[in-house]
Amino acid sequence: RCASWTSEAPVAVGDADQIQFLKHSTRTRATINCNFSEHAPCPMEPHHPRRAPTAAMDPPSPAGARPAMSHSSAFLLPSSATPAASADAYAVVVLNQRLPRFAPLLWDRAQVRVCADGGANRVFDGMPELLPGHARDDVRSRYKPDVIKGDMDSVRPEVKEYYSNLGTKIADQSHDQDTTDLHKCVAFITDNSPGSDKSNLCILVLGALGGRFDHEMGNINVLHLFPNIKIVLLSDDCLIFLLPRTHTHSIHIERSVEGPHCGLIPVGTPSTSTTTTGLRWNLDNTHMSFGGLISTSNIVDEDQVMVTSDSDLIWTISLRH
Amino acid sequence: PLRPSPLGPRAQVRVCADGGANRVFDGMPELLPGHARDDVRSRYKPDVIKGDMDSVRPEVKEYYSNLGTKIADQSHDQDTTDLHKCVAFITDNSPGSDKSNLCILVLGALGGRFDHEMGNINVLHLFPNIKIVLLSDDCLIFLLPRTHTHSIHIERSVEGPHCGLIPVGTPSTSTTTTGLRWNLDNTHMSFGGLISTSNIVDEDQVMVTSDSDLIWTISLRH
Repeated sequence: RCASWTSEAPVAVGDADQIQFLKHSTRTRATINCNFSEHAPCPMEPHHPRRAPTAAMDPPSPAGARPAMSHSSAFLLPSSATPAASADAYAVVVLNQRLPRFAPLLWDRAQVRVCADGGANRVFDGMPELLPGHARDDVRSRYKPDVIKGDMDSVRPEVKEYYSNLGTKIADQSHDQDTTDLHKCVAFITDNSPGSDKSNLCILVLGALGGRFDHEMGNINVLHLFPNIKIVLLSDDCLIFLLPRTHTHSIHIERSVEGPHCGLIPVGTPSTSTTTTGLRWNLDNTHMSFGGLISTSNIVDEDQVMVTSDSDLIWTISLRH
Repeated sequence: PLRPSPLGPRAQVRVCADGGANRVFDGMPELLPGHARDDVRSRYKPDVIKGDMDSVRPEVKEYYSNLGTKIADQSHDQDTTDLHKCVAFITDNSPGSDKSNLCILVLGALGGRFDHEMGNINVLHLFPNIKIVLLSDDCLIFLLPRTHTHSIHIERSVEGPHCGLIPVGTPSTSTTTTGLRWNLDNTHMSFGGLISTSNIVDEDQVMVTSDSDLIWTISLRH
């Protein structure tokens, strides 16, 4: 028996009262496997996990046998710097939240710029605010998205028209309710980037953190769904990206723009064993889980941080203001 | 909660974690612009300022200390987050051994630095028997421990319709719900697979049963 929000005493699975109660539910089974065009939209994301088969099926191998993956935030350096960038091709995705202060810098660095629905409003309003010394129309035509993609239920009609007149492609996907806007944008970018090897591609996402918590979690799930694509979620305060368990990781720290606060978070699954170097409080074959230990408010002590884990981890590092 | 609680409907204890005191000092007068600032600040005076004391401005700490606020410096304890310290303080200082009537409302735990947010969510998992709600302008979240079946009353005038159920720490082999637009029926949820986001509350009561701890989230109306 259950009272309003107050959780009652534990009910053993299989308890007769509980089963009876659930049978009286008026709801029928969720339409998980719905045909997009016919049935009610289902926001479970995704219907069909797009995790690359090799990543999903390979068992974790001993640290020595795993390929290495390197990471760098060189894209945050001022454009005058000539960083040893680990990515040759950048894409920027703007979601529907206030632009971070470095949005123009990342936009300039990217070869592809996609706005997810209301993200177009944020670019339209926010870029001129971030570049107050320039005429608004000049800023808007310079910072013109290549594509506006998604449900189209947030973008203002006049904003959509403005960019459409400038040549921005409007890719209306309001019929597809099964994947988040970020998922659609990542799929679009990977489908449209040349070559089958995406290892040089790095997708920089603005507006994915903060705001509605379910949106933030859905965005983090996109990182897990595309573990072979470098996707970085950025805010004014920090950035995060996935460290897939299939690789050992070498994270180059750009001390002029990021740090010192960092963390490693086992979102989704506990980690039986994680080992690091380069942190103030390194992990050494350490178990991490929600309800137990997770690494937060750590400090980067060296220019290179190494991470090996038996689980996918989220790396996070603070950004300097 | 629907049943009247001995604690009453509004807060009896107010704790600021370190720089949270700055936010109260600056923010309360901003939110109540029709009143004199000193009136607002003395009315909205924290009982305790707790934590590392590395963010609270010295003048703010002194202002509240002069008004009687207890300053509980714990800069020596670096092993727990500020929220953890505050929750432990509140539970240690609330009367009786039964905390089932206690509900801790946390402001400022979401957004900002991601590791802080995750640390705050971990506090929910570390205190599964205490009702702790994390709130922002956009939404609220709380833990649904796997040890219980859950009945969530929806206050439609202030929350919804967007909601979600998130298996933050561990996959769920089986979750079942009622009251949602897209209910789960013995459904598997995990990061890298399906998680329930952008769901909709369709009824005033949502029921959730799961084999894993889940985070419930619902949007707040503006």
